Amino acid sequence: MKTNLRKNSKAIIILVIIAAFLFVAARGMSGRDVLITVLRGFSTGSVTFLVAAGFSLIFGLLDVLNLAQGTLYMIGAYVGWTVYVRPDTFIDVLTPVLLILAGFSLSALWGRLASRIQLAPKARKIISWLLILAGLGLLALVLTRYPIAIWNLNNYSESPITYSYMADQGLRIIPAEVTFEKISPFLAIAGLLVSSAISAFGIALLNRNESRSQTINWRKFLVPALLLLGGILAAVFNAQITSWMFAMSTNWLFVIAILIAILSGVGLGALMETTLIRPLYSRPIYQLMLTLGLGTIGLQIVQAVWGRPEFVWPKPEFFTGTGGACPATNLADLLENNCSTVFLLGGRVRVYDEIFIPIVGIIVLIVVWILLKRSRIGMIIRAGVQDRQMVEALGINVRRVFTLVFALGVGLATFGGALAAPSTGLTPVMGERLLLSALIALAIGGLTSFPGAALGSLLVGLIQQFMIKYGQIGIPLPFTDVVFKPSPPLVPASTVLLMVIVLLILPGGLLGSKE
Amino acid sequence: MSNILEVKNIHSFINQFHILQDVDFVVPEGSITALLGRNGAGKTTTLKSILGLASVREGKVIFEGREVQGMPPFEIAALGIGFVPEHRAIFRDLSVEENLKIAERNKGDLDRKRTFIFDLFPDLKKFLNLRGTDLSGGQQQMLAIARALVADNSLLLIDEPSEGLAPVIIEHMIDAIRQLSEQSTVVLVEQNFLVASKLAKYFVIIEEGKSVASGLMKDLEADKAMIHRYLGAA
Ligand SMILES: Nc1ncnc2c1ncn2[C@@H]1O[C@H](COP(=O)(O)OP(=O)(O)O)[C@@H](O)[C@H]1O
Ligand SMILES: [Mg+2]
Repeated sequence: MKTNLRKNSKAIIILVIIAAFLFVAARGMSGRDVLITVLRGFSTGSVTFLVAAGFSLIFGLLDVLNLAQGTLYMIGAYVGWTVYVRPDTFIDVLTPVLLILAGFSLSALWGRLASRIQLAPKARKIISWLLILAGLGLLALVLTRYPIAIWNLNNYSESPITYSYMADQGLRIIPAEVTFEKISPFLAIAGLLVSSAISAFGIALLNRNESRSQTINWRKFLVPALLLLGGILAAVFNAQITSWMFAMSTNWLFVIAILIAILSGVGLGALMETTLIRPLYSRPIYQLMLTLGLGTIGLQIVQAVWGRPEFVWPKPEFFTGTGGACPATNLADLLENNCSTVFLLGGRVRVYDEIFIPIVGIIVLIVVWILLKRSRIGMIIRAGVQDRQMVEALGINVRRVFTLVFALGVGLATFGGALAAPSTGLTPVMGERLLLSALIALAIGGLTSFPGAALGSLLVGLIQQFMIKYGQIGIPLPFTDVVFKPSPPLVPASTVLLMVIVLLILPGGLLGSKE
Repeated sequence: MSNILEVKNIHSFINQFHILQDVDFVVPEGSITALLGRNGAGKTTTLKSILGLASVREGKVIFEGREVQGMPPFEIAALGIGFVPEHRAIFRDLSVEENLKIAERNKGDLDRKRTFIFDLFPDLKKFLNLRGTDLSGGQQQMLAIARALVADNSLLLIDEPSEGLAPVIIEHMIDAIRQLSEQSTVVLVEQNFLVASKLAKYFVIIEEGKSVASGLMKDLEADKAMIHRYLGAA
């Protein structure tokens, strides 16, 4: 403990200085303002933390700087919004997604077959790629004929504002059901399954060596079969499920939306790692360009589908009550009336923005911490950060752990987006801002340190919110009569300043390793 | 007697570098085989080639009758090969207990092997909750060997276990390796000829990436000229 204190003495001194600075600065504020600003700091910090923690986990184990993390955060928000406000689109998209997953999950089975096929290496490569491309081409062909509202891009990208507005008023527009017209349902389902299975076979053929010792049992069929079943059920009962979701309590819809946002991040992460990142592990520069490029592509796609203008994600019922004893002054009132605000120290505090988000942030912190410290996967991650070869030499499939960590890291980012959106609204540029904050937070806290990510994010959140508050009320400079009002550009600048100061004193960040 | 491992004329690469150029030897089951040779001869690379950590571009590695070259390292290791690398590679951020636990291939491996491991290295029991970094060199070496014993490995590849250890501890290490060789076959890389000659029944000499001699250890001990030629002073 003593050596720990000495080792971290510089970090502790910096923290004390920051705390003293905030304390002095806060003296110009009322207690109410301080409380609200601190809570908002925790809120911004929590969201930043989700993105930063994902970034740091990925970088720590895989040495990949995932610059797409900001875009993925944004995608999480848009996916969550879609499930929440446009469940019809979600259910329409669900069928093809499940079918494609079913097709690709067959690749584990194909491995055995592919390893039997004897071909010259060059021929195998060419045939694999032909199969993959043919499969993907067919896939695109079938997919564009699928009845999904999104395919009518011009129309769709105009609509989010209207839908959000109506949902916010408690009125749900129920869009007309889209039906199979350009293609028979049977052909559509079979087409997606077959085309993705062809691609999957191509991939299995390409990676022939990896799956030599696989055994086939019924369990390997379970996942593809369940996915297939799910896809077909979603297609058959499309209308029923959609109207059921439209009628559902918004609280449950919100939970589903968050879960789907996380799952889509996990899926996107796994897909990115296995297809694009994996071939580039020995080429860090290409990786950097790849993640940056993917981020831009993702941004363009989101803009094309949902449009550029900003729109809102109406909060669920649980956080929007106004009647009765609202703003609540005690917990019982709050829970009974689902108040949107509470009175704390005489000030109004928004429940979702300033209380719920920080709580979720802290829960995620604890859950991931336990995962890292107590589970076998966490143990493998901690060991793999230091020495991958030795972990492999113990008989552990490190690649699979890589995929898992990448998926988890991206899942945290999309979770962050979906969590923040009801508070911040949705705009395609939301990701860029947050990525910058998250990177600064990591530089402050230490790039590969998990507690560092939390601490850095909290500091960045607090500084940002204090600067915003000062911009509103002005800060009396000590020993003078001057009242200084920081302009909005100073908000990000102040975090950069903090980063520079910390890095000058501690190049590894506050809790980073000292090597 | 059958051979648990056959290394057949392998050529291995680390990155672009062609490091092994025709290494060829067999390891009979149930004994200790020493890989000898000067510094930089290619002994470590030979062990890595067996495990797939260095890429074998030509030749064959046959473990328990099965060709394993080209398979990913984790699959090769999972067939029952334990690895005790040069410089130990203890996981710093893991406790001693976790360093053992991570080597489990099936749930409960560690609990089954606990008595065996702690009979071999009673000291480890005292350090279970320390972190990997807080151990001395000798303790790290014990932990590295113990880690390779957690799963059921029929072959152990041990790289320079006596490196940097005090003579008393080396004696202890020799006893331990002799004991565990009653359970598994051992391939031992050793710079310290005395240690190798005390333990090994067979030897293989590697020189500039080639295997140049092999046979019974007791014949080598008698052949001072050969020792001098390949291993320098002895
Ligand atoms: N990662 C590497 N890159 C390039 N050369 C290497 C690498 N690792 C080992 N070598 C070279 O391979 C040769 C054999 O190394 P090694 O197997 O470690 O020898 P030994 O264990 O017998 O001392 C040495 O000449 C060494 O310089
Ligand atoms: Mg060596």
